[in-house]
Formats: sequence, structure tokens, C-alpha cells
Amino acid sequence: MRRILALFAFVALVVPCFAAPKKEPALPGGAGALGKSKELSLVRVNVTGQPYDYSRPWQKKASFSKRGLGAVLSHGRVLVTADLVTNQNFVEMERAESGEKTAANVQVIDYEANLALLEPTEKKFLDGLAPLELGGDTAVGDRLAAWQLEPTGALAVTEGLVTTVQMMHYPIDVGQFLAYRVSIAMQYRENSYTVPLVKNNKLAGLLLRYDPRSQVLDAIPAPIIAHFLKDAESQHYRGFPTAGFSFFPMRDPQLRTFAGQTGKPGGVYITSVEPNSPAMKGGLQTGDIVTSIANNEIDQNGNYVDPLYGKIEFTNLLTAHTFAGDTVPFRVERAGKPMQLNVTLEHRSPTDYVIPPYSLGQPPLYYVFGGLIFQELSRQYLKEWGANWQKDAPPRFVYMDRFQTELFPDEHRRVVILSQVLPATSTIGYDDLSYLTVTKVNGKEIKSLADLAAAVKEPIEGFIKVETEEDPKQLELEASQVEQEAPRLQQNYGITSLQRLE
Amino acid sequence: MRRGRFLFCILLLAAAPLRGQQQQPPPPSNGEAPSDSPSQAKQPHRTPLSAPPAPAVVTVPVGPQRPNGPVQKSLVRITATAVEPDYKAPWNAGVIARGIGAGFVIDGNRIMTNAHVVSNSRYLTVERDGDPNKYPATVQFVAHDCDLALVTVSAPNFFKNMTPLKFGGIPELESVVSAYGFPLGGERMSVTTGIVSRIDFQLYTHSSIDQHLAIQISAQINPGNSGGPVMQNAKVAGVAFQGYSGDVAQGVAYMIPTPVIQRFLKDLSDGHYDKYVDLGLTYSKLQNPAQRHFLGLKDDDRGVLINTVVVAGPCGKAIRSGDVLMAIDDHPIASDANVELEGERVEMPEVVERKFKGDKVKLDLIREKSPVTATVDLDTVKPYLIQGHSYDLRPRYVVYGGLLFQPLNLELVEAYQFADLRLRHFFDFFVLEQIYLEHPEVIVLTNILPDPINTYLGPYRGSIVDDINGKKIRTLADLAKAFAEPTDRFVINLFGDGPPLVLDPKQVDAARERIKTRYNVIKEDNLDEQPLALPVPPEEQKKS
Repeated sequence: MRRILALFAFVALVVPCFAAPKKEPALPGGAGALGKSKELSLVRVNVTGQPYDYSRPWQKKASFSKRGLGAVLSHGRVLVTADLVTNQNFVEMERAESGEKTAANVQVIDYEANLALLEPTEKKFLDGLAPLELGGDTAVGDRLAAWQLEPTGALAVTEGLVTTVQMMHYPIDVGQFLAYRVSIAMQYRENSYTVPLVKNNKLAGLLLRYDPRSQVLDAIPAPIIAHFLKDAESQHYRGFPTAGFSFFPMRDPQLRTFAGQTGKPGGVYITSVEPNSPAMKGGLQTGDIVTSIANNEIDQNGNYVDPLYGKIEFTNLLTAHTFAGDTVPFRVERAGKPMQLNVTLEHRSPTDYVIPPYSLGQPPLYYVFGGLIFQELSRQYLKEWGANWQKDAPPRFVYMDRFQTELFPDEHRRVVILSQVLPATSTIGYDDLSYLTVTKVNGKEIKSLADLAAAVKEPIEGFIKVETEEDPKQLELEASQVEQEAPRLQQNYGITSLQRLE
Repeated sequence: MRRGRFLFCILLLAAAPLRGQQQQPPPPSNGEAPSDSPSQAKQPHRTPLSAPPAPAVVTVPVGPQRPNGPVQKSLVRITATAVEPDYKAPWNAGVIARGIGAGFVIDGNRIMTNAHVVSNSRYLTVERDGDPNKYPATVQFVAHDCDLALVTVSAPNFFKNMTPLKFGGIPELESVVSAYGFPLGGERMSVTTGIVSRIDFQLYTHSSIDQHLAIQISAQINPGNSGGPVMQNAKVAGVAFQGYSGDVAQGVAYMIPTPVIQRFLKDLSDGHYDKYVDLGLTYSKLQNPAQRHFLGLKDDDRGVLINTVVVAGPCGKAIRSGDVLMAIDDHPIASDANVELEGERVEMPEVVERKFKGDKVKLDLIREKSPVTATVDLDTVKPYLIQGHSYDLRPRYVVYGGLLFQPLNLELVEAYQFADLRLRHFFDFFVLEQIYLEHPEVIVLTNILPDPINTYLGPYRGSIVDDINGKKIRTLADLAKAFAEPTDRFVINLFGDGPPLVLDPKQVDAARERIKTRYNVIKEDNLDEQPLALPVPPEEQKKS
């Protein structure tokens, strides 16, 4: 598993310290280059929300409130990070100086790229605010200004240096996206989400995460924002595309010889191709060496030369530079022979996975009978174990999540789990069971919660038999007793509904 | 100044056993927090050095009123110098550590102690009361599964004035027992008393996979008590062996009870210790009425449900998952898995615990609502062994092209602290998912000794070998054999995503001496389970 950096979203982590933003020395391009704008292009965004509770899937957790900033764009749109408005119940915008408020709607949200567009319900609310333009020319060595708001509504500006531009993991760990790494001594302000980074009065990026100890900020860069905005303009938001293969660098000369590469070293070795993925449909195979994508040559480390950033991992070509539906030419070497394959990229929705990598903004599915709680395994469920879920969650489930392609090849299915048992008359002796994988119910194979709900309705001689991968391998309940006990179970444990199947 | 010197002495002594305890086995792989697991009595606890030196100078002559008689006539102090194998550099001899424990003389000029006192030992000395000499000793038998060992001394007169101790039975709950040994705080015998608090199955942390009967006592047991007798009415009621460190629980110590000791002595009476035998299955209680009805059982609170049967175990053929086990050797099994043995309710495996390799056990089952009887020959369930600690064995490995290959076991997991999910899965589910059938040994590329020929192979570290040039690798011997085949190149397939690891044998041969010299690899492989050589020529004697 790729290591997930333990960086935090920039939420109240900075210890307020005495560090007045020192006067910057004259910079190339003058102070104006930093983008000290007279007219604010910012609004405050206040969000109250409630996350779903995967351990008690019939209810929501306690509500939270978050305050962040929004970057005002043209056509009355406001750009924020997705994690600001995830699981929101109510979003409102607030004018920085007047404190005037209006409710807002989430127009488009992309959890993977961590971006969302908001729209005020009152159309004229943003009048008088100069929309920010997007500037996509940031490169390593540039200085960016982080814009925050003082309680008075005045602008607080901190400046930082772009140290790295590279592919990084975003909070939802689905692939990697381009990101800027900025060295910046930012101070804590109340509105800690969606801090815009500005260069020459143009929006260069949005804060992704900030580690106050190392003073390292990662930002969602303008090219990713531009991609998101362009996609958002289309009728139906598609999301960032993927090809669906994994790869390995070709640095080892012994591996190159084995793969039949006799000419110039370069390219990446395809280690696996996801079933039904664009890569598979395009004809890519395990063992192929991808030497170029969209006419960009790939070196033996997997990098291409970007005109602006220099060497960047080639996956940037497939995310920032292309849209779902685009056809991209791949040059590959197969057993030493060069060939060209055309791959039509698609977005892979979280529901296309056996164990979805995220499920946000929608309630978890569950099915309860006789005190047994069944759920579909998802990474969202595993994340209930906290930041260290990969260590702390049931190891078998973490293993299944990690190796799902290998364990469930070419299958449209879900993994149904018996997550816990609520003590009841029909579950006497089963109270200690938890975290089991369901294989069959009443002799029928279970590949989704809907399968389970259907199978439960066909008892065997009055018994419901549940079979599990793990010990105890089987458990039985009396169908009539389960039915009889249901109202009391609901009452005792405050279960509003015994099932949610969609 | 005298006082100062004396304290320093204590510190030295205390430090000696502490050294050996750094290798304290962590808890079993079931995820318990380390602090919750019972620790061996060799482990340091509390504030050993803050104790006043006074007790160490108390004279030991025993008053006639002592209920257990002159135990010092039977007690010995054992100093063991051990060499702990280094699984990260398995060609090296390992780390030298010294520990102190207790032992006691039993019939036949033998000394009984804990296995963990003498594990991995290269040199042993014993001392007895009133004798200034240290006598070299040798291990006769060691049982790591029940933490017991027998040691003997060849010096002709050693046993002359020693009194062999006799064994008693299981002491009553709440009855008083006394523990004898050489814990921290002084060099001479120490006695503590307590009562019998609980009699139950416990994990024996020395192997970390074995569960046997153990007796919890409230007598203080500290590092150095290990292997010492716990006495009642002048008879041995048990051998002190493990406890909790003081910050977890106080007044909780464990001793090995006499049924376990007697079994050990009986097992080795033929000159060979065969280890505990096991049924090799998991079961669950049958307390749910609906489940009982479904399985066609009466409401008589009898029977347990068989969950997983280890195919390689004694029941692999005779029993299936889903069978209901009703009786074992005609002892009815209650639905909570207890049987009645000699008037005591004990857990069902206790019937097997008392048996030996090759013994038979009769099992009455209900399979698909009909009664079935099976008789099985008991044996050790070998696949479990990789999940427990191993001692007195040289690590097995192969170094090829600077790549270190080792079979997966608990020592490896602890040495490398693998975080890899696949390795963890192979280890945790080795038995329950019958992984051993495909992989009697799980061969892991544990480490890479950097050299130009393997400089790009770093990402493969921690991977499991699947096949080499198309041949499945099921054991370390398979791997060594595969590398001995003449070929133009080795294509090593590892589990998971990633291209095969490719090695050119010509390059490997050319690099061989270079790697051996650079990393001081004395020996490039160890394929056999060789026991450590015993005894070793005497080393310099310890100065106290």
C-alpha cells in the first residue's frame, strides 16, 4: 500500500504564535506579483453537516460545523475544497466585510480531486466581488500568496515558495494528482479550509493540507482546478479519467533484458491490468512496456518531461491533461516489438469497485435481522477505525480492501459482512461474533446486501442459515422468532429502520 | 563506602537477568496489547533497584517450624549464557545475553527449571546453598511448549547433599503456597507466600501459542524466580514461570501445575520429548436454541460445533466443519465446551492435553443429524509451529546475489516488524486458511545486501516467492535447488503486483565473493533445522 502521509487538513493545528508577517523584500515582479488585491475575491463559507455513522448505520453522527473560505469565480460560482462541504446539511456564504449571509447550494463536487463548486441561492449576493481568474503558470521557485481573512474581514496574506511540483495522494486515496508543495509559515485563522493561493492576482491553487510543524503546505494546483471547472461546464460531470493499470519502473537492466528491451532504456512495465478497465479494452497487457503516452516519451522511472515542471510522473498525462471519453495513443513494446494502442479513458466511479474506496454524501446500506447487523464492506466503513485504520481495522477486511482486484477478479459484486451482533433472544450465544464475511444465506451465494435481503426471505424449514468465511462458519436463527422479535429489537436499540438497501 | 559498593553489586546482578529479558516475547498475534499479556518471571518489573539491601544479608538457616522443610537443600541457582539468533543477519552467531533463574533437584539426579531459563543457552552453571562452587551443567530435555526443562550436572558429588523434591497434586483454591527462587534484590534464596487464586487455562508466553493449565497465585514472583518450586506441605505444587509486569497487574503470578509437569516427565521417559499433541480444530459453543434445533440436537446442553478442521492435523480426515462433537473419550461435552474430569469441570481440550503422541482419542459426533464415531491418532499439529517462538535452532536462510530469503515464522515477523498486509495475512491465516498446504514454508525475500547486481531490487523487499523459472517454491530447500539449476537467467515470480525479479547467474557468481566479504556473510545458507551445539567449551566464569 502506498504510504499515506500523516498530514492533516489545516484545521486549528497551528499554534497561534507571535510572528507578524514580515515585510517581504522587493521581489522579482514587485509586490504586485503577490496579488494584493484591493477588492476581495473571497467569501466565507459556513457549513454544518453530519457524517454517517457506519458503526450504527441507521443513524448519523453528531453534527459538526466548519468555516472555510471560498474563491469567487466568474458566473457567480464559488470554489471550495470538497472536504469543506462533505456530508453537509446546510451551507451558507458570508460576505467578509459586511457579514451578510445567504444560503448556498453545492453544484458540483469531486471528492477525488477534493473540489466543489457552490452557488448562492441569492443571485446578487456576489455582486461587487471581482471574480478570480485561474493562472496556470506556476512552477517550482515561484512565490505564492496564501489569502486568509482577519476577523474584521481584512485580508491576511502570507507568502510561500513553491518547492516541488509532483504527483501526490489526495485525501481520498484514489490514484494520484498533480500538487504543489509550498514552504510557507502560515498562521492560524478561523477559516482554515480552502485557503486560496494566489500569484499575480490569479488563483494558483487551493490548500489541500498543511503541516504546521514542517510548515509544508500541499495545494491543489490550477491545472487540476481548470480540469474540474471545464468538466463542470459540461452537462454531466464525469470526473477525472483513469486507465486502470499498475506499473513498475524499468530501471533494472536485468528486467529490461528479460522484457526484451534491447534499444534505448525507457518506459514502465505493466504489472497488472484491471478487468474491464480502459486499459484492458484498449488492449494493454501485463508485461507490456509503455514507452510513450500522447506522444510524450516516458523514461525508465515513469516520468515524462513537462514543458512547465520538467520531469513528472506520466500519470499526470492521464489525469490533468485528458478527460473521460478522450482517446489517448499509447506506444508500447510487447516482447521487444513496438506497437501503438489507443486507449479511451473513462472515469472509474467508486461503485465500480468491489469494495468502494469512498462513499460520501450518501447513507450506508445495512440490513438487520434478529440482532445481526449486515453491511457491505467499504473503505468508508474501515475508516471508522480512524487515521490508523489500516493497522487498527479488522486485518482480514483491510487485506480484502487492499487486494480486492486479486481476490475478486472480474466480478461485479460487493462483500457482505456481519459487522456486529446486538444481543437479543434470537442471538443468544452469538453475542461475541463480529467482523465476519458472509458467503451464503439459506444456501444462496451472497454478493450484495440485496442478495442477502432476498435470501433471508426463503428460510430452510423455518430456519435462516448464515454461512461465514471465518469461524464459526455457520449460524442459524428461527425465522418466526426473528420476525416476532423485530419490533422489540427496534425499540430496545433505537433502530429507526431495520434496513436500507439503496 | 561499603554500602555504596554493595548497591553497585546488586545493580550488576540485577542487570544480568535484565539483559536476557529484552527478548521478552510480545503478545500472541491475536492483537492483544503488549501490556496485557502475562510476561515471564524473568522480565523486569517494578523498581527492583530501589529495594533496600538488607534482605540480601539475612541468614538463611531454616527454622524447624517451616512447613516445607529445608527447601534450600533442593534449590539451585542457574546462570545461563545464551546466544540469541540474529534473524536479520542469520549467518552471525547472535547476541550474547545472560539470565538468572532457579531450579530444583528431583529424583534421578535431575534439576527441573523453566525452558525459558535455558533457552538458546550455550553455557550453564548451577550453584547450590552453602557451596562456593559454580558447576557447569547441561540441558537434558527442554519442552518449549510447556516451558519446562531438565538440567543435569556431571560433577560427581554435586547431588550428594541435595534432597530431591517430591511432587504434590493441584492445590486447593485459597490454600497457601510458598515460592522459592533468586529474584532481584539479592543473591541468596528468597521465599514469598501467597494463596492459590485461580486454576485455569493460560497462554504460555514462552512459545506464545500454547495454552495449558496454569495456576494463578498471589505470591510475588519476580525476575529470577523462574524455574523455582512453589511448595505446599513440603511438596512441589508447581513451577513459577510467568507473571504480569507491575504496571499491568499486581499480585498475579502463574505457576506450571503438576499435571503439566508430570506429563512432561512421562513424555520424555522414553528418552525423547515428543511435544504436546492437539486435535487441530476450532469449535464454538452451541448455546443458541435455534442453532441446536437446526442441527437436530436435543435441549440437553450438550455438544460443540466444529468450525475449522486443520487438514494436516489428526482430525483432518475424520472430522468435518459443521459436525457436532458430543463426547470425547466418552466424556460428555457440555454446550459450553466443558467436560468433567476427576470431578472438575475443565475445558474439553484438557482430555487431549493429558495424552501423548500416538495415543488415540475417541470422538462421538453428530453429522447431518446422525451419530458418527471416530477414533483418531493424536499428533502435534506442525503448521502451528511457525506462529510460535522457536528456540535452540539456527535460523534457516539462503543468500543469493545479495538477496536474503528466509522462511516466515514468528521470529522473522518480530525481527523485521513487517507491515506488509500480504505477509501479515500469510502469517495470521497460515493454519486457519490452510495456507501451509500450498506453502509448507512461506519463503520471504527479507533483506537485500546492496551490490551493483541488486541495486534496483529494493521494491521487492518483503515479498513472498511464488516460483522460480516456473517451478513452485514450497520450501527453502526448493529455493536452494532452483538456484542450483544451470540456466541463463532466473525469473523469480513474487506474489502481488510487480514484474518478475530477474537475476543473471553469471553476474551473481561474479559478485559472490564481493558480497560475502563486504557483508561478512560467513555462510551463504542454512537449510537444516540444526539444534544449537551443546555443550560449548566453558567460558570464563562469571565474577560476582
